[in-house]
Amino acid sequence: MRLTRRCRLQTCLPAAAMADVTFLLSFFLVLAMVQEPDRTSVDLPVAGFRVDAERGAALVVLAKTTDVHGVEGLVYRFSDGASMSRPVESTQSILFEASRLIRDAPTRQFIVKAEGAVRYERIDELLDLLRQGGVRRVLLLAAQRKDGTSR
Amino acid sequence: MKLPRIPVSSELPITAMLGVAFLSIVLFMATTEFSAARGLPFELLEKPGRWIGPEEAVFIKVAADSSVLFDCQPTRVEEILPRLEATLLRDTGRPVILYVDGSAPYQAMISVYDLLASAGVGNLSVPTQSEVQKSIELLGMNPFESRCGN
Repeated sequence: MRLTRRCRLQTCLPAAAMADVTFLLSFFLVLAMVQEPDRTSVDLPVAGFRVDAERGAALVVLAKTTDVHGVEGLVYRFSDGASMSRPVESTQSILFEASRLIRDAPTRQFIVKAEGAVRYERIDELLDLLRQGGVRRVLLLAAQRKDGTSR
Repeated sequence: MKLPRIPVSSELPITAMLGVAFLSIVLFMATTEFSAARGLPFELLEKPGRWIGPEEAVFIKVAADSSVLFDCQPTRVEEILPRLEATLLRDTGRPVILYVDGSAPYQAMISVYDLLASAGVGNLSVPTQSEVQKSIELLGMNPFESRCGN
């Protein structure tokens, strides 16, 4: 048998539906996006009971660092929650920055992102500084316990 | 004069737009963090309230070696809540003091604080070094260190 009639196929793909889905995905991602003001790698302490940090919370980072000679030390970083974190020279700079932020927003939350292995006195010193700066609400950043249990 | 009719396609040319949209998705997927930062809430008091000595409160101490003392008795972390429950059952308004040795690892403090926060212990105080210093100036000794006879 010989077919006489040839069907002509269009050379373009019907992409309208795909474009809709793509745009919807884009909107979803834009709305669900959380800006991360700090990308320092820190071995956080683990905890089972955790609550979400507030959007726009300021951040104080206490991370381990190793210099060119292999000597370990600690470095402080600070972010106002809107801009990326930057290293601070001394703990007094944290006090200054905290006071400045609290003057504008007295109920602002401060996140403490610190290594779980550091001596508690460093955290204690940090908490005292934040208190002096007028900070009242702190969130001690913690990683989820490995077994996933939350009480 | 008769103008020739040019056939116009009824479809919008969206191929380029689709390309841009896909690139946007890839960008967002690479840079987005879906889960917000999570941790343990901690309240800092503006001014110290009424002085509460460790002998008046349920006294939990995290020592430098991460060991835990509950009212001066060595305790495992998982035993804290049952003991605390039994104590607070007798005296519901009794405050709880969590005193952490400065040399203890931060994780040790978080482990105990996590338990107390998850149990909803309201009247909880974690004295900082400045508060300890003030009490030393006031009493002439560290009441948190001397509580258990050290």
